[in-house]
Amino acid sequence: MRQALNRIFHAGWTNFKRNSYVTVGTTGVMTLVLLLFLSLMALNFVSNTIVSSLQEKVDISVYFKTTAAEEEIAAVQDDLEAFEGVRGVQYVSRDQALEEFKQRHAGNALINESLAELEGNPLQASLNVKALSTEQYATIATFLEGNRFRSSIDKINFYENEAVIQRIERITNGLRNSGFLATLVLSMIAVLVTFNTIRLTIYNQKQEIEIMRLVGGSNRHVRLPYLVEGGLYGLFAALISLSIFYPAVYYASPRIARLMPDVNTFSYFAQHSWQFVLLIAGIGVMLGIVSSFIAIRRFIKI
Amino acid sequence: MIEIKNVSTSYDGEIEILDQLSLEVKDGEFVSIVGPAGAGKSTLLRLLTREIKPTSGEVIVDGVDIAGISSREVPLLRRKIGTVFQDFKLLPSRNAFENVAFALEVVGAKNAEIADDVPKVLHIVGLSDKISSFPHQMSGGEKQRLAIARALIHRPRIILADEPTGNLDLVNSYDVLKLLMKINELGTTVIMVTHNRDLVNAVGKRVITMEKGRIVRDQVEQGKYII
Repeated sequence: MRQALNRIFHAGWTNFKRNSYVTVGTTGVMTLVLLLFLSLMALNFVSNTIVSSLQEKVDISVYFKTTAAEEEIAAVQDDLEAFEGVRGVQYVSRDQALEEFKQRHAGNALINESLAELEGNPLQASLNVKALSTEQYATIATFLEGNRFRSSIDKINFYENEAVIQRIERITNGLRNSGFLATLVLSMIAVLVTFNTIRLTIYNQKQEIEIMRLVGGSNRHVRLPYLVEGGLYGLFAALISLSIFYPAVYYASPRIARLMPDVNTFSYFAQHSWQFVLLIAGIGVMLGIVSSFIAIRRFIKI
Repeated sequence: MIEIKNVSTSYDGEIEILDQLSLEVKDGEFVSIVGPAGAGKSTLLRLLTREIKPTSGEVIVDGVDIAGISSREVPLLRRKIGTVFQDFKLLPSRNAFENVAFALEVVGAKNAEIADDVPKVLHIVGLSDKISSFPHQMSGGEKQRLAIARALIHRPRIILADEPTGNLDLVNSYDVLKLLMKINELGTTVIMVTHNRDLVNAVGKRVITMEKGRIVRDQVEQGKYII
């Protein structure tokens, strides 16, 4: 068994080594294909980060009348937290709101004087509501409209932000859908290119396969070294593409961060480096093996 | 050893290649098959290696009707037979040693056995100094001797040679013939298809003449090339 495995790997490796032009060509094409996969992953990461940071910025605030009791506000907060689709509710009391206001305008003498002249706190308590997704803000607003303490609520700023929220929703959905579609189409092209390249490689060795069959080689003897050869193309292509991709991301990452400060591409890929190495090597090896397997089927029938 | 009973083959069910052909070859015989192009000589050999199946009739090798065997059993049949082709059919990306070793690998021979037997058989065919050469680095005669070495290595009971000297000059042709005759003397059945009149006459053994898919003459002893 061990001897048979050794022979299979040895024959596959010998084929890979000796057909140097074919090896360089096929590995080159597969490297490009895997680089395409990696670039798609990087693009998906960047667009996902943009989408989540946009969504992070969206929330709605519920302002309570100054006469509203703390218990009423707490009850509304409990209702909201129990409501499906709500990710978090933050309570800002009137005092906190005033404090924040003062801090924000600490350098503004006119505002400070005006505040000093006022007897009470003019600011309202509020609840900042974040939803799990932007689509749920409308439902949350409707839910608040029907709340038992609606009379204590002064205003819900969803209606003022509605247009912006909807626009962000459209943009993020658009980004997600087009990213998914591009990944799907390009992946299919990549698989077809790989398959065709390996098919041509195997076609070159058609005569060799026929000879092996004629001197009594079983399907296993003939096929397995070619599967190893296909896997080796994928493995080497994966190593080359990763060694191009990581330095490229390292170089591009600060430039992307200058445009989009929330996006730290390199640290993401560095943190998950093992997963990416295994994933790309796995994709490369599987693509090589499966393509060889399909390509060889035609010639093995003699 | 080999029994062919009323075998017909055709392409696309229309053009008859072999027509109700019957033939028996005994163990240890040397048979030359001659005839004009298109007589069905090579088709006959391809039937014996199960490259093609007969449309009717039986092809019995070693007591088994090979027309009925499954595709899994075909390699087992081919391992009983050594084949030599006009165009050598060597593996271009493997050197002389590896070409011969492949025929042993497929029968599951151990590495030590391969390391021992391959140089011996290369010595028999006079290629000891070419053990690491690739086919493209060899002459026609050397390639054919290498192909014979590969056909011999697993000690087959039958050797089929399809125009083994078709691409060789006179000297190399005689070398190849001498090798085949030596193999036959050691007890292996040899069936050779050829157009070479001088070679057939030099062998002086059984000669079968084919025409239009039929056997028209079978000279069992001291046969001569007659068309």
